[in-house]
Amino acid sequence: MKPLILYGTETGNAEMLAEDIASHLGDAQLLNMSDATVAALTAAGLLIVVCSTYGEGELPSGARALHAAVEAARPDLSNLRFAAFSLGDKATYPDTFARGGAIWAETLSALGARQLGEIATHDAAGADLAEEIALPWIDDIMAEA
Amino acid sequence: MSAPSIAIVGAGPAGLFTAQALRRALPTAPITVIDRLPVPFGLLRYGVAPDHQGTKAIARQFERLFERENVRFCGGIEVGADLPLETLRRGHTIVVLAAGLQGDRPLAIPGDDLPGIIGSGRLTRWFNDHPDEAGFDPPIGRRVAIIGNGNVALDIARIFAKSEAEFAGSDLSPRTLARISAAGVEEIVVIGRGQADAARFDPALLKEFTRLGETHVKAEVAGSEASQSPVATALREIDGTGALPGNARRRLTFRFGLTPKHIRSADGALVLHLARTSGDGNEAAIATDTVITAIGFDAGRTGLPRTEWLQGDGTLAVRIAPGLYASGWFRRGPRGTIPDNRAEAREVADRIVADVSCGAVPAVSTDIQADLFARAVSYAGWTAIRDREIAEAPAGRVRIKCPTAAQMRAIAAGAPAP
Repeated sequence: MKPLILYGTETGNAEMLAEDIASHLGDAQLLNMSDATVAALTAAGLLIVVCSTYGEGELPSGARALHAAVEAARPDLSNLRFAAFSLGDKATYPDTFARGGAIWAETLSALGARQLGEIATHDAAGADLAEEIALPWIDDIMAEA
Repeated sequence: MSAPSIAIVGAGPAGLFTAQALRRALPTAPITVIDRLPVPFGLLRYGVAPDHQGTKAIARQFERLFERENVRFCGGIEVGADLPLETLRRGHTIVVLAAGLQGDRPLAIPGDDLPGIIGSGRLTRWFNDHPDEAGFDPPIGRRVAIIGNGNVALDIARIFAKSEAEFAGSDLSPRTLARISAAGVEEIVVIGRGQADAARFDPALLKEFTRLGETHVKAEVAGSEASQSPVATALREIDGTGALPGNARRRLTFRFGLTPKHIRSADGALVLHLARTSGDGNEAAIATDTVITAIGFDAGRTGLPRTEWLQGDGTLAVRIAPGLYASGWFRRGPRGTIPDNRAEAREVADRIVADVSCGAVPAVSTDIQADLFARAVSYAGWTAIRDREIAEAPAGRVRIKCPTAAQMRAIAAGAPAP
């Protein structure tokens, strides 16, 4: 099944990672949360969320409108399977590290969507590159999907 | 349409986000980013605090522009000094000025030029090893007063408030840390004109102060007790945190509602005289050794005639003249964060693409590329500097920055550092 890669970004790091995942998969649809509607979510069968974290564990500004719309519409997502990758900065924000992807996982799960795998995270202050974590992770997710 | 040739002046976040947006819209256009320093990344490298490496990680996006997306770097060429802007314009269809703002806005009160007073931009450059400040020895004493209520003031307060161990994982140089430690800072006061709920501190960044191991934190939020604003709430939360008063090596106090009136020197120190901003006639005096002004930036030293282009609202138009554009702080003044610069860069790129599409751009009359690249530090030169900085990082540091432009040029040229 062709996955929808839905990304929420503030400075572009999550966008770059989402593009890397899309190129790695080859056959995937890439969509910025700031351009997405609730209908795009309900139409997807397999969703890969890539989302950064801003401020005190908040969603990036480009993701907030979509999240609010999903929370308001409360669509039945029992036909949706999803995986989530979360970006954050553990050194500066240890208490709220990488909440962005987790917020989406909580919302999607509450609406009946089934989560594949664990939420993967990347620490911007760490030594690893995001794609080095994300590409093996997405291979495992796609094997499970 | 044929691909326009593009030169961007300034390899900081504003210039590089503009390059990124233009590359997406114009995949075949030659794009060159010029910086007065031999190294790229501007405020990401020299403004973002050395202990905020996560923020600096945006550089990964910009490295891709140069490594994979055919954007070229020309370092060590100052447009308006080494290269006339008119020459650059004759050689490119589009020139985007994203050179930032380097000057510290002065307090503009009597005594604001006394020894012991330092602008926040200069101090920030110094603790980030900016080559312009390689010879600067900042007069830091035991008592430090920081005037300003933005995130720059927070960065400076935090750099003085942290213990040596708390800089693990940063790129603060041992030389700079030794200088800060030798000052033996005991008292840090951050002073705002407005009340706590009017402070422009990022509440998330205030949380960092609760974790300080050597510094006791006080926030005098009287007058904002009832405010539910995120910043007032965060300030109430950090009040009384950090090290316990009995164990603390120093104290950090946030004070509000005080307007600086004049500074005088007394007995080898400074006295900062303030009036209550509320106008109740009450005054305060703070004895201190060092005053740091963190009240904003202006154009400072630049060879570009920015003031001639200013509009009535204090900003520049996106399009200054046919083929000449502005982006980032250079365009709109010293307000806004890295994400704001990214959003603006996309708007500037949209405007350029629209102008290119309808032919509203000048023709190129000369080819200056060969001369430009012959004089510049290339991206390969920068990666040689970068690799050396990482390889020579001391324990607990992610890099040690090359301190002078001459050493940068030598490493870039493959020569032993002088």
